[in-house]
Amino acid sequence: MTQVISKSDLMVWLGRLTESHRLIAPVDEAGTTLFQRVSRVEDIALDFTNTVLSPKEWFFPPTETLFSVEKKDGGIELVPNEGVEENVIFGVRPCDALGIALLDKPFLNEPADALYGRHRDKTTLIGLSCREARPECFCTSMGTAPDDPANVDVLLTEVADGYIVDAVTDKGKAILPQDLLKESDVTAPPPPSMATVPVEGIEDAMSQSFDDPYWERLADRCLHCKLCAYVCPICYCFDVRDYNDKGTVQRVRSWESCQSSGFTTIAGGYDRRAGKGPHLRQRFGHKLLYFPREFGSPACTGCGRCVKVCPVNIDVREVIGDVQGLGGTSGQ
Amino acid sequence: MAPELVQQIRDKARELLTSGAVDCVIGYGRATDGVTARPLFVYEPEKVDELIFDETCTHNLVGYLVNRKGKKTGIVVKPCDSRAINVLLNEGQISRDDVSIIGVVCDGVVETGWNRVGEAQQARCQYCHQHTPVVYDFLIGEPREESPPSAEDYAAVAEMEAKSPEEREAFWAEQFDRCCRCYACRQVCPACYCTECFVDKLDPMWVGIRVAPEENRIWHTIRAYHLAGRCSGCNECERVCPVNIPLSLLNRKMARDVEDLFGFQAGLDDKEMQPLGAFEKDEKLGIGE
Amino acid sequence: MAVEGFSPRMVGFLCNWCSYAGADMAGTSRMSYPANIRIIRVPCSGRVDPLLIIKAFQQGADGVLIAGCHPGDCHYVEGNYYARRRLAIFRSLLEFIGIDSRRLRVEWVSAAEGKRFSNVITSFTDELVKLGPRSEVQVGA
Repeated sequence: MTQVISKSDLMVWLGRLTESHRLIAPVDEAGTTLFQRVSRVEDIALDFTNTVLSPKEWFFPPTETLFSVEKKDGGIELVPNEGVEENVIFGVRPCDALGIALLDKPFLNEPADALYGRHRDKTTLIGLSCREARPECFCTSMGTAPDDPANVDVLLTEVADGYIVDAVTDKGKAILPQDLLKESDVTAPPPPSMATVPVEGIEDAMSQSFDDPYWERLADRCLHCKLCAYVCPICYCFDVRDYNDKGTVQRVRSWESCQSSGFTTIAGGYDRRAGKGPHLRQRFGHKLLYFPREFGSPACTGCGRCVKVCPVNIDVREVIGDVQGLGGTSGQ
Repeated sequence: MAPELVQQIRDKARELLTSGAVDCVIGYGRATDGVTARPLFVYEPEKVDELIFDETCTHNLVGYLVNRKGKKTGIVVKPCDSRAINVLLNEGQISRDDVSIIGVVCDGVVETGWNRVGEAQQARCQYCHQHTPVVYDFLIGEPREESPPSAEDYAAVAEMEAKSPEEREAFWAEQFDRCCRCYACRQVCPACYCTECFVDKLDPMWVGIRVAPEENRIWHTIRAYHLAGRCSGCNECERVCPVNIPLSLLNRKMARDVEDLFGFQAGLDDKEMQPLGAFEKDEKLGIGE
Repeated sequence: MAVEGFSPRMVGFLCNWCSYAGADMAGTSRMSYPANIRIIRVPCSGRVDPLLIIKAFQQGADGVLIAGCHPGDCHYVEGNYYARRRLAIFRSLLEFIGIDSRRLRVEWVSAAEGKRFSNVITSFTDELVKLGPRSEVQVGA
């Protein structure tokens, strides 16, 4: 027996959540879908496949003040950023949930990032199984699946007239609307299938390809914008700058991308990673070699966003296939 | 595009590569979705058959020439792209001898993205009166008669100007609020070739990396201003924006002003100094009068 | 719209040779004008980068004045001609994104025109009082 909730009751539940928490859900805006705070459940885009930007922005915002320094009583006062609200994020796809779990590794390993940790503690994830796989999806090759409950607090799976409700964690149980749930013997539909990507052994293949001219050729068309890093559920490079606004100094952390030209430039102008090829190789090296070496799995969830947005079709699935076929020229 | 014309592109590319006239031909190839185009760099004559040309060839390849200064390059250009070549020639960013230009008479490109081939032509094609490239070494296709420019060409700009200042401010605030400063618009643009963009400067730090409404507004406004008289109207900036900011509105506004005030359109030839680098002593522009 | 008791914050970019000297003359001649203007001396009106203008608005200015030599009298011969074109385009762009073009004022003031300078500041301040503060400026993340 499973628990189900009807479509209309789901809206009632979400309506309650807008009162008790800050509810974040997919919203259609100007032809795109983005995770935004909603105060009216009618604004939620229920029939979305996935958003343009992943929900990582609610744990690791594009811009976040770490602390401010203010003048006080002839001295200075450090004011930390305590402003973290109780969030519920509705509509988290399993690929994005895996992204958040992977993001935990660099952020919560000792010494842990306290601000990120507070966001995580105060956020409950309501996952939504995927009815369809987009042509760019390949999550099943990256350690998850369209109906994977592994990294969410509640998983909803759409069935006729409603959703199966699976409370995965205690945090998830705590926000369930017990009065709106019904027992049912409906079973979940099989998850959609998708093409696979030959990820097996990619670490070694990447390691052996370090000096291959493949990277220079691939980077020929790369624009070195920041789109792939910004839409990715896991990319976590950031820059920290101090801003002096009328006598208050704010230390602000903002997204960055390994593709930006000044990323590895050091004082004096020296750049060890100068050139288009090394920059692009770094992106795939980080995701498919360095991150797995350090944290045990590739930094990729198969969500396909980078494939969809890249203006020049640098396709991670194609790159993985190409690198597997390179045959290895030198070790690293 | 007719298959024999695509074959002409391939034959010309093969000729340029085998004769050693160029090291590389930059054109269009098929993307991994099997239906749209992507930029393709061909170094070997055997690979020219990967070159394609169809209504998904929206990319402006001219930006790649800036990095290849000093190397001989062949390039496939649509008319809008060819205007960007003139802008770069004018500004000394490429040398005419280095480029072999395969110009394509264009019937327009459709709305496109990954795995998406739209039915409708892109908006920029609907007000295009330049279906033959303005600069080329080899022409693919037959030049044809152009429709005359009309007031309708700048209709979107006029519609925005007709709104009240409060409406305009609210409209743009909403648009800029979505900006995540990915700089895809800058990177895709052939005219944005500064080795250090003003947004990357640390001292003075004009905008920094903070993603905030006022900073976003400065970014987009100043970029539009920097493109005044230089933007060739390829609209790639708008196409690549992940959150659909209507950048073409800003660029068309500048293009219309430059045309109205100075009678100038970017990239029609490579000799005329662009208007913000010139002046007329007695001109009346409503400034200081 | 006009707000009770509103005192506009104005930034003025004055060219060293003509308009800054004109402002000096207004001062030495004891002409009074509103103290709302914060003056930044630049070598020439042609030095004024639109980035400076929009940055001034971002930092809280309600109005920006650029004052230079009369066309034909530029100390550097041509600087103000370029400024004239640049500011025509930029003011139009600011208007397009919703910053009222009356908030960006360009005046040619010579070193002998102390009276004119004080008149310009007075009239610009009055206009900005009527326009009201620029809508809520967000400074800080």
